[in-house]
Amino acid sequence: MKITRTKSFRTFIDPVWGENPINIQMLGICSALAVTVQMKTAMVMGLSMTFVVSFSNLIISLMRNAIPRNIRIIVELAVIATLVILTDEFLRAYYYDISKQLSVFVGLIITNCIVLGRAEAFALSNPPHLAFIDGLGNGAGYGLVLITVSFIREFLGSGNLFGVRIIPEAFYAAGYEDMGFMLLAPAAFIIIGLLIWLQKSVIED
Amino acid sequence: MSDYMKSLLFAGILCIACSSLLTAAASGLKKIQQENLLTDQRKNILKSVGLVEQDKEYTSGDINRMFHDSIRRVNIDEKGNLIEENQTAGGDSEKNLPVYLYQKNGGAVQAYIIPINTRGLWGEILGYLAIKNDGQTISGFTVYKHSETPGLGGEIEQNWFQSNFIGKKITGPSGEFVSISIAKGKAEDTVGEEKMGNYVDGISGATLTGKFLSKGLKDVLSGYEPVSIIFRKKLQFCKTNPNTPWCKK
Repeated sequence: MKITRTKSFRTFIDPVWGENPINIQMLGICSALAVTVQMKTAMVMGLSMTFVVSFSNLIISLMRNAIPRNIRIIVELAVIATLVILTDEFLRAYYYDISKQLSVFVGLIITNCIVLGRAEAFALSNPPHLAFIDGLGNGAGYGLVLITVSFIREFLGSGNLFGVRIIPEAFYAAGYEDMGFMLLAPAAFIIIGLLIWLQKSVIED
Repeated sequence: MSDYMKSLLFAGILCIACSSLLTAAASGLKKIQQENLLTDQRKNILKSVGLVEQDKEYTSGDINRMFHDSIRRVNIDEKGNLIEENQTAGGDSEKNLPVYLYQKNGGAVQAYIIPINTRGLWGEILGYLAIKNDGQTISGFTVYKHSETPGLGGEIEQNWFQSNFIGKKITGPSGEFVSISIAKGKAEDTVGEEKMGNYVDGISGATLTGKFLSKGLKDVLSGYEPVSIIFRKKLQFCKTNPNTPWCKK
């Protein structure tokens, strides 16, 4: 059997493309607007999200037969919140400057619908290995959109990529100016809108 | 066992597991986090006197070395008298005001740095204000902790806002103390020509943050006024007290 036909592969690739959490399911838009001014913060946010969603999926799937139905949302949230705070503590210890820039948005992963959505819709009814892969796929799908948006915003808005100057000084001397609008949240809104349009028309073809 | 009891038991075990995990992580990483916090404060002190640039990356080793080379901390009481270091440990902390002195390689004092601690709209604003050794001219202002609205009051952490402070005065034309305030909007549109030196441009959409910060700066600066007076009358003062850290040559 080809690898692209296996269930694991489909579980991973669906949320990256066809069921992308931001572009197709319209979840997690708020954080995607806030942390995409620079590629560095977008990448750290994507990684944090991937960590949280894959491990919360794994843990909840492991416990899925033991969780009492009537308190399952509380249990899911407790697991998610614990993972998010662990991530936050870790960032504050080892990536202090980035964690300062991300400020509240790491903590707000708790309220990101993608995490609870995957726990409810997938982890509760699937075995641990698939749930973990589903988490990785959703994190990757979320992260890729963030990185694409931040690439456009950082490049056009400040002429940098990963904080390194890309547009040569000579351009500025010749009258080129950064698009200040790209640094504001509405710019991300427009870019995400265009990405959604692009992706949907590609899928429909 | 009833379903009810089962749920309670499950919830209890989960709570204990989660909280012990978090406690372990929080206390295990506390030391590193506090070091980061200290380095960040030192970085802001260095930034307020222009030793650290905004966009450059520094290792914590760099920051600590620069800090030890050029910054000295002294404590004063509310009248501006020095408090000996061995007294500070048990002393009354409220009357104990820290001042950081910027001395290039231990030479004469170039500027003194005052820690700013004020109310903001949503929470504390913590930062530093550096004043040149004439006791009047601001050489820099930084904020390292705040919880103002991102994009509005949160702009106080941005370079454009902070660099407005450079070169402004905390004194009026005849040398009396007036503090530094944040204007409502652009300073040149809202305050008169003669007061321009005491106002910086405000942030549109963040009038309240500006108001709290203006008041906080005034409170803090008036508390430190004795030190500023020493610097303004340095020649006189140093004749009688040549061995104080302010007068080091």
